[in-house]
Amino acid sequence: MNPSDSDASRFRSVPTDRRGERDLDDLLIHVARGDQIAFETLYDRLAGPVYGVIRRVLKDPSQSEEVAQEVLLEVWRTAARFNPALGGAATWVMTIAHRRAIDRVRSVTAAADREHKIAEVDTPHDEVAEAVEASLDAERVQRCLGGLTEIQRESITLAYYGGHSYRQVAELLNVTLGAVKTRIRDGLIRMRDCLAVS
Amino acid sequence: MKLFRRDLHSLSGAYALDALDQGAESERFARHLDRCPSCASEVRGFAEVATALALAATTEPPPELRDRVLAAAALTRQLPPEVTSRARSHRARGRARIRVPWVPWLSGVVATAAIVVAVLFGFAQAHTDQELNQARAQNQAIALVLSAPQVKLLTHATTKGGVATVVLAADRHEMVVTTNGLPALPAGKVYQLWLIGTTKTVSAGLLPAATSGQTGPVLASGVVQGDMLGLTVEPAPGTAKPTTTPILSLPLPV
Repeated sequence: MNPSDSDASRFRSVPTDRRGERDLDDLLIHVARGDQIAFETLYDRLAGPVYGVIRRVLKDPSQSEEVAQEVLLEVWRTAARFNPALGGAATWVMTIAHRRAIDRVRSVTAAADREHKIAEVDTPHDEVAEAVEASLDAERVQRCLGGLTEIQRESITLAYYGGHSYRQVAELLNVTLGAVKTRIRDGLIRMRDCLAVS
Repeated sequence: MKLFRRDLHSLSGAYALDALDQGAESERFARHLDRCPSCASEVRGFAEVATALALAATTEPPPELRDRVLAAAALTRQLPPEVTSRARSHRARGRARIRVPWVPWLSGVVATAAIVVAVLFGFAQAHTDQELNQARAQNQAIALVLSAPQVKLLTHATTKGGVATVVLAADRHEMVVTTNGLPALPAGKVYQLWLIGTTKTVSAGLLPAATSGQTGPVLASGVVQGDMLGLTVEPAPGTAKPTTTPILSLPLPV
């Protein structure tokens, strides 16, 4: 898979190349009908992002592999529940992947977090640098992240890549709950606009 | 905790990043989305940003994961397109109401659209009440195979072109076979299916005439361990034993 030709297509608001997105939607619809060849193609296109996001949240490679397998199998099993009218296939799959990673991290660390108030955490900036590969897509995401205020960027990356709840983010950044909610939302609005015009 | 409506709106970002506390808070916001189309739309936009963040984190998975996932998928029954109570926990876009299949007893269908279409042909070709009843009985038997808890879906090309699709319900020792794109036969010839066992070979029926390249489903019973599915070209109306080289020999994992 060439990452650069599928990415521009992911945003419905991007007028240029939407072919890749439609392809992915079509693939998933075929998967829903039991088409195993379509599932292989879907795997080749989305296993990297699925594994990547889970790995970012969970860190541990073997746990990540286990959760990625669960997620990809869940995609096969529940493909009929995908409705292209409500969002693209990549988003549907990535939502499942991130949810599963979060479920895992919170079930494992919930008790410890409550006791230790999250003593240690990677700095948000390193998180971003580590996440971003030398591809056009990743560069664009990084550029858009770079356009956020520091607290917006930290709130978003701690929540999404760090797998923290917004309450935990507030504690980590030592700001109020209301501030975190607003920063995340404002930051996402800015990201959305930035990604759409790129 | 009582939240004002405006506060609830401001949770859309945290919700889209799965950063609400699981349980009550997340569910409360999900319910709010049902009543707030503009919030639902905003969350959908944010979910696309989250997707971009996920894609930016792309990491090559271990190569062995591919085989494991594909093998597991081949053995995993897929859910039919209908709404369950679990939908509540999904986001707005995951809560799609998808039309339930047209025939109630097919709602558990695992298998390919090919077979569903083929089942319909069975009805279309029935002209008399008796034929209709036969089609109905046949379809119910097929539906039992398709909705068995554990089925395996096998597809394989024949040596003459075209593909055979098999839904195998190992615990029922039954399977349903359809084909697509087999070459047309001259008059006086038929396609015949066989269960080729370790000690004996028995006929599993003739393929019906194709409609638009597709043959209707054939139900075969008595599949046992070690059987292979064979397909041969035979003189009409079929033979007791295969007389030509099979154009398909497919092991049946019972």
